[in-house]
Amino acid sequence: MAPPAIDFRKKRFLVVDDQPLARESLRAIAQTAGAFSVDLATGYQDAIFRIRNNVPDIILCDYMLGDGRSGQQLLEELRRFDLLPDDTIFMMVTGEQSYEQVVAAVELVPDDYIIKPFSPDKLILRLERVAAKKEFFAPFFRAKRRGDYPQALALLAANRDSEGGHTYRFELLRQEAELHIATGNAPQAEATYRGILDRYEFPWARAGVARALQRQNRLSEARSEIEKAIAGAAHYFDAADLKANICMAQGEHDEAQRVLEAIARRTPRNYLRKRLLAQAAELNGDAEAARAAMADVIANDTMPGAVSTEDQLALARTQVAAGDAIAAEKVLLLLRESEIMALPLPSQASFAALLAIASPEKGRSRFAGLRPALLAVELPPSVRLDVLQAALAGGDGELAEKQAQALLAGDDSRLVFNRMRQLFSLYDGDPLFREIQRRVALQRIGRGETDAGAAGVGEATAAP
Amino acid sequence: MHRLLDVLASGVHDAKNQLFYAEAQIAAAEAAHGLDLAEARYAIEAAAGRLSRTLAAYRLLRDEARLAVVPAVVADLCEEVALDQRKHLARAGLTLDVACTVRDEWALDRDLVADILNNAIQNASRHARSRIRLSAGEADGSLCLRVEDDGCGFADTDPAAHGIGLLVAARIAELHRRQERHGSLRLCNGGEFGGAVLELRLP
Repeated sequence: MAPPAIDFRKKRFLVVDDQPLARESLRAIAQTAGAFSVDLATGYQDAIFRIRNNVPDIILCDYMLGDGRSGQQLLEELRRFDLLPDDTIFMMVTGEQSYEQVVAAVELVPDDYIIKPFSPDKLILRLERVAAKKEFFAPFFRAKRRGDYPQALALLAANRDSEGGHTYRFELLRQEAELHIATGNAPQAEATYRGILDRYEFPWARAGVARALQRQNRLSEARSEIEKAIAGAAHYFDAADLKANICMAQGEHDEAQRVLEAIARRTPRNYLRKRLLAQAAELNGDAEAARAAMADVIANDTMPGAVSTEDQLALARTQVAAGDAIAAEKVLLLLRESEIMALPLPSQASFAALLAIASPEKGRSRFAGLRPALLAVELPPSVRLDVLQAALAGGDGELAEKQAQALLAGDDSRLVFNRMRQLFSLYDGDPLFREIQRRVALQRIGRGETDAGAAGVGEATAAP
Repeated sequence: MHRLLDVLASGVHDAKNQLFYAEAQIAAAEAAHGLDLAEARYAIEAAAGRLSRTLAAYRLLRDEARLAVVPAVVADLCEEVALDQRKHLARAGLTLDVACTVRDEWALDRDLVADILNNAIQNASRHARSRIRLSAGEADGSLCLRVEDDGCGFADTDPAAHGIGLLVAARIAELHRRQERHGSLRLCNGGEFGGAVLELRLP
């Protein structure tokens, strides 16, 4: 065999495995392959700690890490916190047939995976392949990291007809599609994913089509595409997250919650999913489930910096929804003034609104101070719901109307409709709500919009 | 019945971990003492391959098999199979030629296809006089993988006549689908070396 193209003596390896024997085996194989420096991690937390402190060049990670954790989760978490430099190699090691199913389905894949048992020679061969691929894509990744998307796209286009462009034709298309999504060019992303599907029905590409359609607000098409992706891949949990997001945008919060609960039971330590579940449950009117999910996130998402001020606001929101003003007040008052002032205006508005609901005495003046801004600026739907509730609770009809109108007239009206109706009902505002609906519907008809948009708008105009 | 499959899969998984431990120990001993125990490692990997194949066969027979299709570089796949087999064949006085003319990545179940090729080469080695050839090319929009030898050829070219291994291989080929087309496995005689030919076509 030709001498290795990589000088493994200079590379720092990290072996991640919870089983001592397996860890030793991996170390022995890596050393036989020429590795000099091989660090060992006994599991998920230990791996994160080591990678944070000293990024290895090559990670050999077993798929089964024990303690409810998997190598796939570790990979997702490392990418989420951007702890892996582009040239670090992440190689999943598996004796599991089921991991092959995962890697075939999901969008976020390791650089490669290798099935036990394997020889040092085979490991060398695989690592060299990965290194060559990384070198091929290096200029592209550099451009992408710089945020120079036109240059990144140009590099992909230039590579397509090169020798490597044949070797990596699917990867080039996948990167191109992801870049189109990142730059907001959903129609082009859709076309690129469909081009991949013409060659093979990869679940990740089908999900890509669904995501691109969702971005174009073509929700029922997106829904049918994501159902196809899920039907083709039982292990594709991220597809369920996307489905839940689409369901919520369609106003089907019960289905979103059901889907997320089913997957969350199988991935109990995926806290991004728990956050999404909290949102779905809250929109679905299941305040207790929302509260439990957010409490779990805040207690157990142990990555440093993982739990944000926004998460604390989300927890307080679920407590307010569950009618537990005391708990909400406690969470809100634990936030430091400096943290609050560092938040963007919409989050400050949520903070002020939630505090005004939980503790009118302590929150009223801050909320009043923001009132002129809240009447004037654009706000995300979740923030408008907070402001709406605070306005209803404080008897500020004008502010409440303003928020409700904006929500009903916006693209996300289905997302928030149920919750809005519940809030008006909670504060004896049903007649006002119907009146606002009627006005928004009339405005739409006045503008010649045939599709009244929100399911609820049609409902309301038909109401007596 | 799902339980039984889980029990079997977990047993195979544990056994493969044990085999990996054995292989790692052997590799370390080779490096430390300048030994060549490639045949022992070959036997270990063959045993692991056999375990995986048995589990795959069980899944296929129960119609529970699912492919794990990933984009794979065909030349790399061929080279890996050659890496697994070449030393062992050399001990038996056989040479293995590899010829790959496919430049593009192909969507296939990398591990099951590699296993089929490994198995085919092992079979060929029992009948070959001196040479075996592994080739990859494109024909009619399909990937065409062939294992040929210079032996006296198949007495029966029906895969079903050759036991479970080839039946499983034929089923795996068939599970590879693209649009309306599906893969196939064919046995014939002749080819480059005039002996047995196994041809795997994947759309």
